[in-house]
Amino acid sequence: MKKGLRHLIIYVLLILLALFMMGPFLWLLSVSLMPGRNVFANPPAILPTFIAFDNYVQVWEFMDFPRYIINTVVITLLGVVFNIFLSCLTAYPLATFRFKGRNLVFTLLISTMIIPSATAMIVHYLTIQAFHLGNTFLGVVLPAAVSVFNIFLMRQTFLGIPTDIRDSGKMDGASEFRIFVQLVMPLVKPGVAVIGLLEVMAFWNNFLWPIVVLDDPQKYPLAAALTYLNGQFSYNFGWIAAGTMISVLPIIIVFLFTQKYYMEGIAGAIKG
Amino acid sequence: MYKAIRSESFAAWAFMAPGLLFLAVFTFWPIIYGIPLSLTDYSVITETHFVGLDNFTRAFQDHNFLISLWNSLVYVLVVPVIQIISILMAILVNSRISGLKMFRAAYYIPVVTSMVAVALIWSWLLGNNGVVNYLLLKVGILSEQVSWLSTSSTALYVLMFITMWKGLGYYMMLYLAGLQNIPADLYEAARVDGAGPLRLIVHVTLPLLRPHILFCTVISVMGAVRVFDEVYILTKGGPGTSTLTSSVYIFQKGLEQFNFGYASALGLIVSVMIAALSVLVFRLNRKGGVNTY
Repeated sequence: MKKGLRHLIIYVLLILLALFMMGPFLWLLSVSLMPGRNVFANPPAILPTFIAFDNYVQVWEFMDFPRYIINTVVITLLGVVFNIFLSCLTAYPLATFRFKGRNLVFTLLISTMIIPSATAMIVHYLTIQAFHLGNTFLGVVLPAAVSVFNIFLMRQTFLGIPTDIRDSGKMDGASEFRIFVQLVMPLVKPGVAVIGLLEVMAFWNNFLWPIVVLDDPQKYPLAAALTYLNGQFSYNFGWIAAGTMISVLPIIIVFLFTQKYYMEGIAGAIKG
Repeated sequence: MYKAIRSESFAAWAFMAPGLLFLAVFTFWPIIYGIPLSLTDYSVITETHFVGLDNFTRAFQDHNFLISLWNSLVYVLVVPVIQIISILMAILVNSRISGLKMFRAAYYIPVVTSMVAVALIWSWLLGNNGVVNYLLLKVGILSEQVSWLSTSSTALYVLMFITMWKGLGYYMMLYLAGLQNIPADLYEAARVDGAGPLRLIVHVTLPLLRPHILFCTVISVMGAVRVFDEVYILTKGGPGTSTLTSSVYIFQKGLEQFNFGYASALGLIVSVMIAALSVLVFRLNRKGGVNTY
């Protein structure tokens, strides 16, 4: 009996918290399905009187969504590939090799966390201009092509690989690179999946840097295009709500399908 | 043996070369280049001159910059609130009942959605005729509508609230990982000694979460001082200077007004501040060891 009461209290708390965290999204969904502009009503409309997909149809026709989605997908793919490639290569020796300067590299990596992003952005802007990469997707992706966080995460994963594997590869006369590609990498697929997911989310949601680099709004990714839509149609709630739902849904779906790896990976980053 | 180590060290640097090259250009270079830049009046429009420490003396007389530093410090107050609530959330979703995975996912969704979307939703919810005002009026907490984001006295706190709301799930997951590493027999032993739920949390859970608390506090302090997206999208520092945080001010000086030299000097000052705050957090948690890897 006492246990039942305790469970009841826990469930009530869990549900209240879920309302707090999910409520705003559910309300957004509700607004996006309201026909006309009844969201302006006072008291504010919380639930639609009847459901219609007009907003979705109209905003899809007004904005070139396929183009923005393609832009976002290209930027995201580039970013993910760069990050997986570079952080695996960098983390592997830090986890398994003995060499001079290992601690130096480590200290340097940690110290990068103190610089305000706005300052870094200013120098990135100058660098990208100097490389003539302004207004290109590569200019959007390169400054975030590798992250210290991902290097830490992959190092953690590589530490879990038994040293025998490398030794046995050496006995067979394989080169370090071959050992890495053929023996080690297949064992860290879960870690790779995690940094892949982290970067999918980061690049999908990125809005400010693309606006700074890209002069041509036709090249904007979704999140950046959304701020543009908001500026243009701040009076048409329904459209913006539908547009926002369209931009948010893919990433939520990706997350829901991969949450197991994703959450374990995030947690694994700081194993004490 | 000596030769083996040398070849290993060669291989190590060869592996790390591409990654370190990118880090050098896009992570270390901004830090290094920011220093000489901060000693000039570099901007796109005029010729560049070496101006010595002028930018720094100017910064400390720049009323708006000082306000932005103060606002960034106020923003750090969000850190203990986030930590306390997310630890409680983690304890809650660590209980042994069914359906918890669903709740964990629900709490995490704000983390994975873009700040643009989150900011849009909250700007509507918090509008004059928005749902928040409506509900608070209905319950009787408010007697008249409040324009949360365009009132100087509330805007900064509202932004802090949004930052908290979006971040809770992230810290919850980190703490949850910590909780799951605590051996169950420790709780059993404490229970046998007659400890109630509250004493279990204070005497078993919190001490064992210490490394996690330290890690989460450090990253959220850094995050709070560097906060940018939500402020930039929702208020751009306004009304007046009430939400002008240091990152937003640096961005305005740098990428909106193209005063790269001055903005770099401001960035250096803020970097020193972040470093000092991190050291402070480490000192406060002297006992816990941090394991960022």
